[in-house]
Amino acid sequence: MAESEQLPVQSARDGNPAAWDALFRRYQLPLYAYVFELVHNEQQALDLVQETFVAAVKHIGGLRDDEKFGSWLFGIAHQKVVQFWRKRGSKELLFDEIPETPDEFDNAPDDLLIRHEQEMEFMNLLNQLPPPQRSVLLLHFVEDFSLEEIARVTETQIGTVKSRLHYAKKSLRKLLEKKNENAA
Amino acid sequence: MKTPREILLAQHRAAGDKLDKIRDKFVAGLNHRDTKAQSSISVLASWYLGGSNAVWRELIFPRRRIWAGLAAIWILIFIVNFSQRDKSELAVKALPSPEIFSTFQQQEKLLAELIGPSGPRVAEPPKPFLPKPRTEILKLLTA
Repeated sequence: MAESEQLPVQSARDGNPAAWDALFRRYQLPLYAYVFELVHNEQQALDLVQETFVAAVKHIGGLRDDEKFGSWLFGIAHQKVVQFWRKRGSKELLFDEIPETPDEFDNAPDDLLIRHEQEMEFMNLLNQLPPPQRSVLLLHFVEDFSLEEIARVTETQIGTVKSRLHYAKKSLRKLLEKKNENAA
Repeated sequence: MKTPREILLAQHRAAGDKLDKIRDKFVAGLNHRDTKAQSSISVLASWYLGGSNAVWRELIFPRRRIWAGLAAIWILIFIVNFSQRDKSELAVKALPSPEIFSTFQQQEKLLAELIGPSGPRVAEPPKPFLPKPRTEILKLLTA
């Protein structure tokens, strides 16, 4: 898990600018990738990342467990994205039809390896997924968050996360296989 | 072969410079806030150490209008307070003197003598209980 690394969270809480610099340096790119893939606008994504930084400094006192800094920060970013969607009035992006939780859950996170020539295809396929599934999959891919952590970030039930992740991975694999078959 | 994480981060690496700029600006802001807080602490320290000149220059002189406004408000409060105190003193003075009280009591005595003693009222004796005539039904029942 990404959470096990040593981060200067306590020092940041004490108001040390160097600690904040280290924390933001660590998370800025994954955070940007996550936000961008949900809003699809560079300037908007940069603004949301900046807003996330501001909110993090403001609310660091509320973070009880330093180990959860990463998921806490992504939680703030997720909220910013949701607010952005709400402002745009795109309510349909916030909810999806959640199928029943699958009996057998695909629990292997790193089994998806993509060939160099498939990279662009992978990005296109990722964008074809409904935003709630994409959000869960991005959190899983970018920071390798656990189901509990993803549930905390997206403020949903673990069962919902499990279901979204299962169907997202399934449809992504299906799409990749279809592309491979067509290419062959 | 690459993992999805590697692909995703590689896709957005171009935004790294912009993110660096945002971060640098943000951390510089934090540093500025830090030094500002430290400077206000140093102002307080100079006050305690008797550096009234520095306090005058840094606290009072730049905000002299605010200080003047505050002083004016306090003066106004004092004026209102004093004016109300005068009124209450007048009200105390307006109360009748003990001489007027004694003449008033004498007049009351005279009036009591003229009217005569007014004894306590005698309470009316309670009426004896007279049982009401029984109804025809009761008569039948007792028969």
